[in-house]
Amino acid sequence: MIPPSPPPPEPPALIQSAPELPGPVVVAQTPTISAALTNTEIEVDSSYAGASLVLYGAVFNPGDDPADVVLVVRGPERPVRLVRKVRVAGLWLNSRPVVFEGAPAFYVMASTRPLSEIAGFGVLRRMGVGLDHIRIDAPDEQRTVNLYGVRDVVISRLGDDYLDWRRAVIRLKEADGLYRADPSGVRFVDPGLFRAEIVLPPEAPTGEYQTEVWLFQNGQAISVRRNTIQVRRVGFERWIHNFAFLQPWLYGLVSVLLAGFTGWAASRWFRRT
Amino acid sequence: MDVYLPIAEVSVNAPILLALGALVGFISGLFGIGGGFLMAPVLVFMGIPPAVAVASQANHVVASSTSSVLTYSKVGSVDYRMGGIMAIGGAVGALFGVELFRILRLLGQADLVVAVSYLLLLGSIGALTLKESLTTILARRRGAPPKREPTRRPLWLYGLPFRMRFPRSGLYISAIPPLALGVFAGILSAIMGVGGGFILVPAMVYVLRMRAAVVVGTSLLQILITTAVTTVLQAGRNQTVDIVLSTLLMVGGVLGAQYGAKASARFRADEMRAALGLLILLVGLQMGLSLFLRPDDPFALAPGGGG
Repeated sequence: MIPPSPPPPEPPALIQSAPELPGPVVVAQTPTISAALTNTEIEVDSSYAGASLVLYGAVFNPGDDPADVVLVVRGPERPVRLVRKVRVAGLWLNSRPVVFEGAPAFYVMASTRPLSEIAGFGVLRRMGVGLDHIRIDAPDEQRTVNLYGVRDVVISRLGDDYLDWRRAVIRLKEADGLYRADPSGVRFVDPGLFRAEIVLPPEAPTGEYQTEVWLFQNGQAISVRRNTIQVRRVGFERWIHNFAFLQPWLYGLVSVLLAGFTGWAASRWFRRT
Repeated sequence: MDVYLPIAEVSVNAPILLALGALVGFISGLFGIGGGFLMAPVLVFMGIPPAVAVASQANHVVASSTSSVLTYSKVGSVDYRMGGIMAIGGAVGALFGVELFRILRLLGQADLVVAVSYLLLLGSIGALTLKESLTTILARRRGAPPKREPTRRPLWLYGLPFRMRFPRSGLYISAIPPLALGVFAGILSAIMGVGGGFILVPAMVYVLRMRAAVVVGTSLLQILITTAVTTVLQAGRNQTVDIVLSTLLMVGGVLGAQYGAKASARFRADEMRAALGLLILLVGLQMGLSLFLRPDDPFALAPGGGG
């Protein structure tokens, strides 16, 4: 049902990970970051009402330059279908739907300062960090042409409105509580020690979530830690969901029989009383 | 107490759903309608995806109408032959309607069609029912002798082939009009998540001119069979039936339906029709309003994109 999302492409020229535990003597010249989650397995059962987990970590910063921490959580990718309301003869109707791909079903960015103060547009765009830089596009609407001698120019059928459409995806997902940006969501509780809270609403889908904790210094990402969170159905929820999707016809029949039985039982019970 | 719904994938408050089920069940038993036209908008308002709301409440209607049909059947006010013929049409209509709804969702036009259907059908039927019943009530208040029921049925009812006897309804007419009525109600059942009682009851009273005593019980029988077929089709084709949601609704619904069926005996028929007409008209106007108001956001997420 949920296609496993490919790991985000690794940005070039970055230090990939920090040592698990620094030795007693820190000799590294570049600052590094370390982070862990309180919980990496979220169980969705019939009392599930969303989840909250805490990410905590440490920054080893031997120099004097201040460093910033940016946390990104991405849910499994799901295509988004978007329509635009258009007015036809006094009525508000839906346009043809446009399918956007690459959109994560859940996206949270939390940082120590507003992103624009931490790094430049180009850096953030290349890394896909921040609500404005999520990598989504509408491939069905695109074609490549050779224009004025330039090869493979991407043209979208959405034309000049393309950015409006893209922004609408993010705005609507934000309104649903599935996308969020919190420029003060990562707090230093002690020099070098930070924490952030990740809140998953119940609407967030099941699947594998990727977390990235970036360390920024002087506008560049210099260290990252990656983790995954598994959100999975358990017990009754899992059983019902599998039944409904693996044997849908039998499930429908059972639903009807259960409903018929409920109605019959109520009528019997009322006759007696 | 919040419960996570496995198919709708949202967390909802269980007591509110139980109360909603009971309220709609009461109205259903009172007027002999499925009550779906009331419940679907409320469920969507509570944050349940429209496709899941429509399919799950069809299953809820199965439970409440079973309970009502059994109650009406005990006093002999169900015409099984008439109901069976309409239900055959209903099953065919549901089959067609579920496919139609699938295509409309893919085209992003499902909510437009739902809004237009609610506005046109509920608006016109509500207005007609209200007008007719108010005229009757006013005539009665003035002490005027009750207007003689026109005994003549539309002539085309007699010109059609396949005539059958329906002793309980006091009819000897062609099987085609009830069948066509059933097909129409079946399509509505799939698209609007309604049983179609608000169409069937007036059509049975004013077009077929069935005996008034069997109208409600028979329409409930047709609704029961049509929504049962719709549930299986929605589950099988679209995987949109949430059994936890429908169970919560039906537990409240069957209790409400019993009280509704008992309460219906205490009211005058014309006053009940006036109340029902007003209710139908209001829901229709409320649903259709979205077509005329400038939307807050020019963009909207279309269902059917995920998973």
